[in-house]
Amino acid sequence: MTSYALLFTLSAIGISETVYLIRARIKSEKPVCPIGGGCALVLTSKYNKIFIVPNDILGLLFYVAASFISAFLVIGVGPLVFWYFILKLSVAFGTILSLFFTYLQWRVVHAWCFWCLMSAFTIWFMGTIILVSSLI
Amino acid sequence: MKKTSFHFLRVGLAITFLWIGVLIFKNPEAWGGYLQPWAAGLLPIPIAQAMIGTAILDITIGAFLLLDFLPWLAAFVGAIHIIIVLTTSGITDITVRDIGLLVAVLALMIDSLPQWVLNKIWFVKKQQMLEMGQSPEIK
Repeated sequence: MTSYALLFTLSAIGISETVYLIRARIKSEKPVCPIGGGCALVLTSKYNKIFIVPNDILGLLFYVAASFISAFLVIGVGPLVFWYFILKLSVAFGTILSLFFTYLQWRVVHAWCFWCLMSAFTIWFMGTIILVSSLI
Repeated sequence: MKKTSFHFLRVGLAITFLWIGVLIFKNPEAWGGYLQPWAAGLLPIPIAQAMIGTAILDITIGAFLLLDFLPWLAAFVGAIHIIIVLTTSGITDITVRDIGLLVAVLALMIDSLPQWVLNKIWFVKKQQMLEMGQSPEIK
């Protein structure tokens, strides 16, 4: 249950972060960029969406799904094995996608976005928690 | 309150409310055990149903805070909720934690009150007039 509490907490942090980015994008405002200074450059680059869906929307959907699944696993809303499989699959997919986006910032856009890195670290941390809890 | 600290407090409290809601959903009867007998006797519905209602309220408050949607209203309802919890659960080992949560949620509410609400609070209006060098009695 501790791992689910951590996963739920990280998902909630991800929701608040992506909601902030979506609001800033809708209002056409530059998001606050505490570290790096390249947020606007990265967020307005041609890599800011997959097909037609903006990355912040995809992130929000992922975090909402992860928080619901964590809650279902704690409450005991079945099918538990299926939910846990979906959670592991989505976190694994998110981890790979975050690695790709981090590479793009490093090698292609040549700018670092605080919010994108925060989201990447959130997903990697979620992956680490799932890995460690599977091993224990 | 500085903007960054406000958001740290908002998200932290949101996660607390959301997680408590989830835990109550998991085992409503056990959480109902925290109620004092006199308070449980006042309930017109079974205790498990009342606790599920509490869980829904907690999750709603948490969602509002997390999405930064009417945070002052969510914090206000959260403060009333915690006061009711303090009253109906009596003095226990965890009362001090509830007091901490109450003060945190009050701080959030005070900091996020919109101007139209502040204008309705007479002593705030008086203070603002004094700061502008106007006499509240003339107005």
